Amino acid sequence: MGANQRLRQRTVWLLIIVLVFGFGAVISRLAYLQLINGEDLQQKAVEQQLSDTTVSAKRGTIYDRNGKVLAQSASVWQVVLSPANFKEEYQREYVASELAEILSLEYEDVLEKTKQNSYYTVVKRKIESEEREKILELMNKVEEKYDLSSVIALLDDYKRYYPYSELASSVIGFTGSDDQGLYGVEFEYDEYLTGTPGRLITATTANGTVMPFDYSQNVEAIDGNSVVLTIDETIQSIIEKYMQQAIVDNDVYNRGVCIAMDVNTGEILGMATVDGYDLNDPFTISKEERKKINAIDRDYLFENGYLTEDSNATGKEVDELIKQAKSEAESAALSKMWRNKAISDTYYPGSVFKMITLSMALEESTISQKSKFNCSGYFQLYDKKIGCHNTAGHGTQNYVEALCNSCNPAFIQIGQSVGEEKFWDYYQSFGFSEKTGIDLPGESDDLFFTEDGSMGPVDLAVASFGQNFSITPIQMITAASAIANGGKLVQPHVVKQILGVDGSVVKNISTDTKRQVISKEVAREMCGILEENATNGSGKNGYVAGYRVAGKTGTSEKLTDSNGDFVDDYIASFCGFAPADNPEIAMLVFFDTPLGGNYYGSAVAAPVFANIMSEVLPYLELEAQYTEDEAANVDTIAGTYTGLSVSEATKNVNADGFDVTIKGEGTTVVAQVPAAGSSIPTGGTVVLYTDDDSVTQKVTVPNLIGYSLYDVNYLASYYGINVSLTGAVNSSDSTSYSQSIPEGTEVSPGTVVTVAFNTSGIND
Amino acid sequence: MSTDTLRRESQRRREYHDRYGDTGPSSGRSHGNGPNRVRKRKKQFSLLSIGKGLDVPFCMLIVLLLAIGITMMFSASYPVAFYEIGDSYYYLKRQLLFAIVGLAIMLAVSYVDYHYFHRFSVLILGISYFALILVLLIPSETGIHRWIGIGDYGIQASEISKFAIILFLAHWGSRYYDKMHTFKYGVLPGATIFASTAFLLLLEPHYSCIVIVAMLTVLMLFISGIKIKWIAVAAVVLAIVVLILWATGLLSYAMDRMDGWGKALEYVDEEQWQQTWQTRNSLYAIGSGGLFGLGLGQSRQKYLYLPEPQNDFVFAIVCEELGLIGAVAILLIFALLVWRGIVISLRAKDRFGKLLGIGLTSQIGIQVILNILVITDWLPNTGISLPFFSYGGSSLLMLLFQMGIVLSISRSANIEKV
Repeated sequence: MGANQRLRQRTVWLLIIVLVFGFGAVISRLAYLQLINGEDLQQKAVEQQLSDTTVSAKRGTIYDRNGKVLAQSASVWQVVLSPANFKEEYQREYVASELAEILSLEYEDVLEKTKQNSYYTVVKRKIESEEREKILELMNKVEEKYDLSSVIALLDDYKRYYPYSELASSVIGFTGSDDQGLYGVEFEYDEYLTGTPGRLITATTANGTVMPFDYSQNVEAIDGNSVVLTIDETIQSIIEKYMQQAIVDNDVYNRGVCIAMDVNTGEILGMATVDGYDLNDPFTISKEERKKINAIDRDYLFENGYLTEDSNATGKEVDELIKQAKSEAESAALSKMWRNKAISDTYYPGSVFKMITLSMALEESTISQKSKFNCSGYFQLYDKKIGCHNTAGHGTQNYVEALCNSCNPAFIQIGQSVGEEKFWDYYQSFGFSEKTGIDLPGESDDLFFTEDGSMGPVDLAVASFGQNFSITPIQMITAASAIANGGKLVQPHVVKQILGVDGSVVKNISTDTKRQVISKEVAREMCGILEENATNGSGKNGYVAGYRVAGKTGTSEKLTDSNGDFVDDYIASFCGFAPADNPEIAMLVFFDTPLGGNYYGSAVAAPVFANIMSEVLPYLELEAQYTEDEAANVDTIAGTYTGLSVSEATKNVNADGFDVTIKGEGTTVVAQVPAAGSSIPTGGTVVLYTDDDSVTQKVTVPNLIGYSLYDVNYLASYYGINVSLTGAVNSSDSTSYSQSIPEGTEVSPGTVVTVAFNTSGIND
Repeated sequence: MSTDTLRRESQRRREYHDRYGDTGPSSGRSHGNGPNRVRKRKKQFSLLSIGKGLDVPFCMLIVLLLAIGITMMFSASYPVAFYEIGDSYYYLKRQLLFAIVGLAIMLAVSYVDYHYFHRFSVLILGISYFALILVLLIPSETGIHRWIGIGDYGIQASEISKFAIILFLAHWGSRYYDKMHTFKYGVLPGATIFASTAFLLLLEPHYSCIVIVAMLTVLMLFISGIKIKWIAVAAVVLAIVVLILWATGLLSYAMDRMDGWGKALEYVDEEQWQQTWQTRNSLYAIGSGGLFGLGLGQSRQKYLYLPEPQNDFVFAIVCEELGLIGAVAILLIFALLVWRGIVISLRAKDRFGKLLGIGLTSQIGIQVILNILVITDWLPNTGISLPFFSYGGSSLLMLLFQMGIVLSISRSANIEKV
């Protein structure tokens, strides 16, 4: 073969290699990437090209049943970084240190964020306008200094405000840093409240500036729906006011609970776990708890099992353990503070449960009006002696007397007449064996003797008066409501309505009646018996003057010792409803471990029930019907007497039903005590001042505690003050146990001091 | 080119062969004119003249590729030029200037009798070595010694080397055409030049150029007529080396060192992710193009995602904007150019012209293939530019200069002039 021929031949081979194999490989590679792998690669390309910014949606408002705002979101800002736009390390360091200072963050954390290879990372949310100003300044500085215009950005954000801070804290709950509901209604109704965040999608260059293409896509944020609670702010406030007072007065160790419920609809009008916490600052624990945590030391570690005697930890390890113990104690304190005791804690219902036991017996007719129950101070069951709170014994009683005496031996007999099987049936049908299904997170289950309801004779005996099985407060009030409303078990709920952004109704939450538990007749009879109990029986400390109140006290032993006083804890409770003839509102008051000397429901819980009801019932515009005795003590509203002549004013005061005392030498009334519009007991004294000098005269409030009704009235008139009487004022053996203005206080003559009465001797 | 033309050409080729046989090396111009090719002197300098005129299809393909190349380079570069330099037209203006100068050089060179390069082949090889050594002595901030700078302008030493090797091997192969089957004349000079050049390139370092030089050497020796067994021996040696590397685990080590070659889409670690940034974004760009592309000027990856889109990775933006269809069309033009260049070279009236023309034309094909394999992550990202497309004054001038030589060959080649 000639050289040229070989050359031509080899060139043809070369052409084949280059054009067929080489270009072939190249084209097939391109085809693979563009056609087969194209979508995937394009997706990845688009991901980096599009800057996707989340636009926060405004969280819905939470209203009380009357439209008062309980939780609301307000505009704030969030600081975001586009770290990929930094060019140099020193720029990152500068921005990180400035941001850390302005936003009170850790420098290292911010620096870490500036090093991310992304165009969107949130540095801090919910910054206020003050911080915002500083950030804007920093943005200008960074732009001038480094010519970086798109590293820091401020985006709209929302912050949750709770105008009433502590009010109904365990019900409302709060939100987390990402605006997500964490507790209470905020958590339960999160999907309604949250709304849909919007997105702002723009095509950006790798520098973060907008590409000159029309890729911008704006998805508007849809604001969240609003939630209307069944809670009434006024009722809630009344409840919390008295509950807080009672917590202090009775030195309650483990907080107290009060639930007010519309017996017919299951709407929760008020639900308080006291002490609550400030919803605007939910991560701060109380000073006492903080003190306890700060006091954690080496000894604490041994006491709580962090360290054992034989472990030889170094000083450093001990410090670490103390740190760990503190943080664990802190989170325990926080979850305890947030816990909604009304639905999450279980307790022995105690004597309050007697209303359920009696209802069963009446419904099943296992007892009659002729049935007699004897009490000799205890009940002998086999080899066991079960005592009554009245160790002397109640003697022979019918069932109404048994309930009014809150007699345990009598109720053992009533329970025995019902029998284990029926007891379990009614226990279930009253809703104790299941969650009530209230629309709040964290509801607990009951704890009965056995899963299937079987129990021994001793179990039945103690269960008859509410001992040794645990239920939640919400279960108890739901069952009591069934007695009050004619036998229907309704589902309690705290949300009434869901409203759209425009105020339209998205969802109405209607009453859910689960079943008829007892007949209307038995329910009516029970109302009468409980009214008798609240008026003249063991529940009379819960009586509210002018209203027909029904209720039952309860004192239960917890068989635990939470405070370390080597005495079992007690729970003092009162559950009742009003008006007894046509019940509308039921209320359960419950104190866990009162250490103030008295732990009986009649002494601790019943007066609180009465106090709350005395304000709530008039608020609900339920008409008062006073007995003759009561009429004398009913408060009347003082009129305006200032500006009138002395004679005219005197005439008006007398016409309003008060006595008059005139101080000063003038002819015209310049001041009056009590002020116009305040309530004074009928027959009280109004002091009229006729000159300015006389106004400065003062009287000293005497001690009004520990006296009978008669003595208190006498002392009041002697010292020239007015008293308003609450509590068991109809009872001859009542004594006063609290006064609203402490002894020794200098007040103007005629000032109204509220004095509360209770009856002693009811150890339940 | 129609089948008709093809048929005519093959017929012509046979006639030509019958007439001249293996003419062997020639250094005179007088051989160039066949009996039918006598034309008036005036026409010799006419662009479209037959005989002494250059090959218009080849020339048109060059101008076409250059036009498309500059357009696409501009499209790819203007965001970078805008954001980084502040002048969207920065790269366009410069490339246009070089293109015009380059075309002028190309035309000028096309009038130069390529046989002059016979004399300069050894000298140019010497310049190549000089440049390769000089470049190593020039201090470099990056530790990579590739450019010999003159003011703002510079040339890569390897550009000279590639040309020098093609030229010298064409010279050698035509002079000792009858001894090319021997080891001494056929293999030894080429192997020596390759080894020494590769060694110097290794010091720069410039691995991709070693690959190109290796391919060009093998190509030149292959068409010069060396025994196939030597190529086979080289292949076996290469295979053994690779096998040893693989067996000792050094291959994976080497591949790991090659900037995460082939793993651009996998996240292994941050360092590797950063190293493969350019390749990955090249793949994103290519993939985004799909079949029809996003449209001319519509690339999004050029917005600073793909670094230096005007250089080696310009074709990724072409793929994004024009799609597979546009990419294949451009590759077809390249293929036509290579094919036409080789047709011209085969028609050259002497062996030197044939070897030189084939070498210079094939170089374009090789660079195109290697460039696209780099941007598609089948080869490590080591700096192989795309002829006519990639930004770069000196390489464009060098390229058009070499095309001028091919055109010069075409003037005297026994080929039908349009």
